[in-house]
Amino acid sequence: MTLPQPLLKLEQASRRRAGRPAVQGLDLALERGQVLGLLGVNGAGKSTTLSMIAGALTPDSGRILLDGEDLAEQPALARRLLGWLPERAPLWQELTVGEHLDAHGRLRGLKGAALKQARARVFDRLELGPLERRLAGVLSQGQRQRLGLACALLHQPALLVLDEPGNALDPVQLASLRALIREQAAAGTAVILSTHVLAEVTAVCDRAAILHEGTLRHDDALSPDDHATLEQRFFAIATARAAA
Amino acid sequence: MSALAVTRLELRRLFVRPLAWVLGALTLAWLAWNFTLLLGSFLAAQIRLAALPDGPGYTDLVAVPLLAQLAQLAFLVVPLLSMSALAGERREGRLELLLGMGLAPTRIVLGKYAALLAWLLAWLALTLAMPLALAHATSIDWGKLAAATLGVALLLAALAALGLVCSAFASHPALAAAAALVITLGLWAVNLGAQMAGVDDGALNWLAMSSHLQPMLRGLVASPDVTWFALLATVCLALAARRVAAERERN
Repeated sequence: MTLPQPLLKLEQASRRRAGRPAVQGLDLALERGQVLGLLGVNGAGKSTTLSMIAGALTPDSGRILLDGEDLAEQPALARRLLGWLPERAPLWQELTVGEHLDAHGRLRGLKGAALKQARARVFDRLELGPLERRLAGVLSQGQRQRLGLACALLHQPALLVLDEPGNALDPVQLASLRALIREQAAAGTAVILSTHVLAEVTAVCDRAAILHEGTLRHDDALSPDDHATLEQRFFAIATARAAA
Repeated sequence: MSALAVTRLELRRLFVRPLAWVLGALTLAWLAWNFTLLLGSFLAAQIRLAALPDGPGYTDLVAVPLLAQLAQLAFLVVPLLSMSALAGERREGRLELLLGMGLAPTRIVLGKYAALLAWLLAWLALTLAMPLALAHATSIDWGKLAAATLGVALLLAALAALGLVCSAFASHPALAAAAALVITLGLWAVNLGAQMAGVDDGALNWLAMSSHLQPMLRGLVASPDVTWFALLATVCLALAARRVAAERERN
C-alpha cells in the first residue's frame, strides 16, 4: 500500500532576495484539508516562502512540488490548483468588484455558466453582493481583503495561500474569516495562513510552523489549547538571537 | 485562452480609465480640425489642380496628410497609453499576482499588446472615417489610401510593441513613457544627422523608421518595409516577454 502524496511539498527550497538569503533549505509538506499557520517576525521569510509556493517566484535551489509536479516546470498548475491572497490584495482600482471576479474567473479558465455559478457562490459566502458595482479604488481596507479572498476562492482551489488575511478586518470579519478557513479545510482544501497573530493560528490551524531568519525552526501539530506553548516557543525562537 | 482573458481585462481597463478617453477625444478633435483645414485648402485649390495633368487629388492633399498627422500624434499617444501596461502592474503587485496564476509571460504580453492594438486601430479607423465620409462626393485613389493606411497601422503596431517593452523594463510608468518617446524619436530620425552632413548611409537609412513609412504614405508598399515594422514589433514583444519571465527570478 502506498501513502497518498502530499498536495504540497517543499524540498530544500532556498531563495535570495536583495542580496541576502531570504529563505534557506526549507522542507515542508502539506496534506489536503490541513491548515498550516506560518509564523515569523517581520523579515523572517514568510512572504518570500508564500510567493514561491504561489509560483510567482522561483526558488534559487530546491523544488516545490504541487500535486507531485514541479511548479517551476509546470507553472500552469497554479492556475488550476492554487488560490493566493498576497499581503496587500492587489486590485485594479478602476474596476468594480463584479468585474474583478469576472476577470479572475476568466484568467483561471472559467467561463459561461461555471463562471456565473462561481461568482454567485463567492458573492454569497463573502457577502459581497451589495458591493458588486462599487469600484475597487473606493473600497475600505477590509472590503479589499474580502474581495482579494473572493478572487482567490473563485475557482475552488485545492491549496489556498493567505498572506496576512486578517489585516484590517474587524473582529466580526475576523470571526467570519476563521469560519471560512475551517469550512475550506473541511471541504478538503489545504490552507497556508501566514500571520503575526498567534491567536489566529491557534484558533484555526492544525499545524504551526515558525520561520526565523529564513529557516524553519519549528513545525508541529497544534491543538486549540496549545496557545501558551506556541507563544513560549515563538518568543524563544524570535528572541534567541537577541538573547545570544 | 488566457491571452484572450488578459486582452479582455486590459480592454476593459482602457475603456474605464479617463486617460484613454481624454487622449482619444483630444487627438480626434485635433485631427478633425486639421481635416477641415486640409479640406478647405483642397477646395480652394481644386480648380487650379484640375487643370494640371496628374495633379494631386483629394487622397494626396487631404486623406494621406491626415494619416501622417495621426502618425506624428502616435509618437506621444502610444507611450502614454502603454506606459503602465507592465510597469504599473509591477508597481502595484499585480504582475506578481498574474504570474502566480500560472499565466505564461508570453500570454500576458500578447494579451496586453492585443488590447493596446485594438484601441489604436479603432483610433485609426475613426480618423480614416473623416476623409471616407466624403468618398461619395470626390474621387479617392483607393490604392494609395490603402497603402498609407497599412503603413500607419504597421507604425502603430510597432510603436505599441516598443511601448510595451519599455514598460516591461522600466520601474515606473513615467520612465517607460519617456523611454518609449526617446527611442521612437531616435528611430525616426536616426539617419537625419548623416543626411544633413551629406552622407547617404544605407545602414542608417534602413534603421530609420521614416524611410519605411514614407514610401507607404506615397502609395508604395514594399515587402522590406513591411518586414521592418514586423521585425521591430516581434523583437520588442519577445524582449518584453523575456523580461516578464525574468520577474519570477528577479522579484
